[in-house]
Amino acid sequence: CFQGVRGPAAAATAPVNALIRSVLLQERGGNNSFTHEALTLKYKLDNQFELVFVVGFQKILTLTYVDKLIDDVHKEFRDKYRNEFQQKGALGLLNGTFDFKDDFMRLLREAEESSKVRAPTVMKTFEQSLKSQKTVKCMIETRGEKPKEKVKTKKNKGSKKEGTEAVAAPGKAPAGDKQPPGTGEREELTKDEILQKNREEFFKRHMKASEKSRSPKPEAQKEKGKKPRVWDLGNSNAKVLDYSNSATNGSAEACPVEEFDPEIALGDRNREPGRLYDLEYESDDEAEEEKVIQNPSKPSAKKGGLGGMFGMLKGLVGSKSLTREDMDPVLEKMKDHLIAKNVAAEIAVQLCESVAKKLEGKVMGTFTTVTSTVKQALQEALVQILQPQRRVDVLRDVMDAQRHRRPYVVTFCGVNGVGKSTNLAKISFWLIENGFSVLIAACDTFRAGAVEQLRTHTRRLNALHPPESHGGRTMVQLYEKGYGKDAAGIAMEAISYARNQGFDVVLVDTAGRMQDNAPLMTALAKLIAVNAPDLVLFVGEALVGNEAVDQLVKFNKALADHSMAQTPRLIDGIVLTKFDTIDDKVGAAISMTYITSKPIVFVGTGQTYCDLRSLNAKAVVAALMKA
Amino acid sequence: AMAGRLEPHLEALRRELRAPDPAVLSVLLALLAVAITILIWRFVQGRRSSRKAVLLLGLCDAGKTLLFARLLTGKYRETQTSITDTSAVYRASNDKSANVTLIDLPGHESLRLQFLERFKAAARAIVFVVDSVAFQREVKDVAEFLYQVLVDSTVLKNAPALLIACNKQDVTMAKSAKLIQQQLEKELNTLRVTRSAAPTTLDGSATGSPAQLGKKGKDFDFSQLPMKVEFVECSARGSKGEEGDADFEGLEKWLAKIA
Repeated sequence: CFQGVRGPAAAATAPVNALIRSVLLQERGGNNSFTHEALTLKYKLDNQFELVFVVGFQKILTLTYVDKLIDDVHKEFRDKYRNEFQQKGALGLLNGTFDFKDDFMRLLREAEESSKVRAPTVMKTFEQSLKSQKTVKCMIETRGEKPKEKVKTKKNKGSKKEGTEAVAAPGKAPAGDKQPPGTGEREELTKDEILQKNREEFFKRHMKASEKSRSPKPEAQKEKGKKPRVWDLGNSNAKVLDYSNSATNGSAEACPVEEFDPEIALGDRNREPGRLYDLEYESDDEAEEEKVIQNPSKPSAKKGGLGGMFGMLKGLVGSKSLTREDMDPVLEKMKDHLIAKNVAAEIAVQLCESVAKKLEGKVMGTFTTVTSTVKQALQEALVQILQPQRRVDVLRDVMDAQRHRRPYVVTFCGVNGVGKSTNLAKISFWLIENGFSVLIAACDTFRAGAVEQLRTHTRRLNALHPPESHGGRTMVQLYEKGYGKDAAGIAMEAISYARNQGFDVVLVDTAGRMQDNAPLMTALAKLIAVNAPDLVLFVGEALVGNEAVDQLVKFNKALADHSMAQTPRLIDGIVLTKFDTIDDKVGAAISMTYITSKPIVFVGTGQTYCDLRSLNAKAVVAALMKA
Repeated sequence: AMAGRLEPHLEALRRELRAPDPAVLSVLLALLAVAITILIWRFVQGRRSSRKAVLLLGLCDAGKTLLFARLLTGKYRETQTSITDTSAVYRASNDKSANVTLIDLPGHESLRLQFLERFKAAARAIVFVVDSVAFQREVKDVAEFLYQVLVDSTVLKNAPALLIACNKQDVTMAKSAKLIQQQLEKELNTLRVTRSAAPTTLDGSATGSPAQLGKKGKDFDFSQLPMKVEFVECSARGSKGEEGDADFEGLEKWLAKIA
């Protein structure tokens, strides 16, 4: 760790640790910024030398030079200490003094200055503007003439739209600007001419064929009368694509007067005047686009042939460093594989992003292919996600609560039909086997037959574990108040009853509810906030796909919103049910743990009482990565 | 009779040798050469990878990385949560030629088991660093990690020496090593009951039932373990803070004994 931290060193440790724990270790390394209390942290990974660069600044500032600063610092630090990294190893890093402070201050100053360079632009006075320099004759426009080209001013570069166009050259001024062009040259034009000019700009934009049409005007006849443009971008430079007439920039005379062809301008003469046609799907456009893209890719493919072989040999020897392009196809395949295994789509994307960030620039070992490296990294990331972030030992906690003479309260929540009551019965069987007495609170007062179901389970469990074999006390009892009552009230009464009677565990069964159902979510949040259970378990079925993300996010949000406390009680653990119905499409486990970062406490694998398992991270990841 | 049995084989061999094109023989010789090479290579490998590592394990923020830095360089460093392992060769101070490789493993929950898997086979000794100040709060987590280390099949087989280093003794509220030992024994006693009662894992307990720690029937005691366990107090930061040295003579002596 670099020792020369600006400001008190202790202030830097906590945010950086938070960054490490929440982002890097949980595989959320997709985007590179992170906020912690009052600071925003931006970071960059150097995977070749295993370095992490973190820059922190106050959240309220929006500094534009931070990315550039990080890149510069990264390059400079790496170049300066390259030898030490390569040769000395851990001992060298510990012993070495990395006296980077002066370099860092210099880079910081440079970055700050570069961001200040663009002073706010002062409006030109009339004399300075080009309008005053033009002759009057030039400015008078007669009907039928194409108005002169807009003068491109450097100050228009501020608009981002120009930067994002891949095909258009920077010189093509009318293309990107949404703003009305020019510096006041338009006042003399009549309304018709404005209309004509707009139509021409529209046609020009269409002829470039790389942007969606901004206005749903009827499709124009393609450039029959004009010369075909040169589309091949591969061997053209900006000059060829610069269609702005260079003569008009600043010169007084030359106002190009082109032939105005009304045919082209008006377009489809056969249309009914005034009628607005629907937007037709232009398939020709796409054909042209493909042509455009094909051409530049062909020459690169040829070059790629020889380079590819060299790269492969280099890869065999083991000094090749991974680039984004190498990893992209493999990552795509892995992402599709994960999605096919029932991992939620957005999570698969985020995971692959994070793995890509971790591997970029890393030097591969001998005889390892890109595929194997990426697979290895992904496997480690998945195992990391599935490892519980906190202790998962229900029995231990029950023993603790037993010592304090209060019941251990577990609440089950989830959407409809996931198996809450069934798994509640399984868990109570397990607890009874371990010698704890259980009180089941029937807080599902809505679903018909919910109370009867629990009563049947209680009867069965008592038959399996009669009071005689446990020293005369009934191991399972049901606390119910019928249907239609308030669930939170029943739960509270059940807990106090358990405390009086000396039950060890209270299992609270709630009604299934959809995550979008606001009143029901409020009711659940109230139940949990009022009763403060020791463990809030979200029951989710393994068959769920992308829905898992939505369910968990909304459940957590509801619990957080309706809680009065400073630190609201959120979901503490997940019960994954119906695990026997999926063969190896075990992706739901990953989705759920990734979203909540809470562990999977139990896994339900069937309908009988013994079908309760705990999660084995390695087995699940193996099943997930299996082809 | 033996000679009689060998005779026809020897005859065949002699015939083969005399034959102008000893194809079979050359193949046999090649295979023999390969086999010998493989044997030599395995032998050399085995020699090289004998267990020479000392692992630094512990919870997050126990002080492993600082201890590592202090042992190797004697200087104080600001440290962050470790993301990956660091290893270096440590030479015991009393000039014996033997040296060990100190490996500092990350303590974060999502990483610790992975790295333990990777390095447990090479471990000659394990230093389990405990934060003595936060011990009261974290006793269950400490015990759980220690339990996971102790029931690991490789660890039980190799029985590396175990030192439990009670770190952060420079703070006044730090618990003593004796207290930590008692509490850990009690906690591990409970844990071995609850852990073995936990639901079996998904793949149908491929690893068999988890190993029983210590003797059944009797309360758990560290002396029941197959490996030598010692408790030592130390402070990586040192009583004088960043300028002074760390006090860990007990640790250094133990390391010298192990090497």
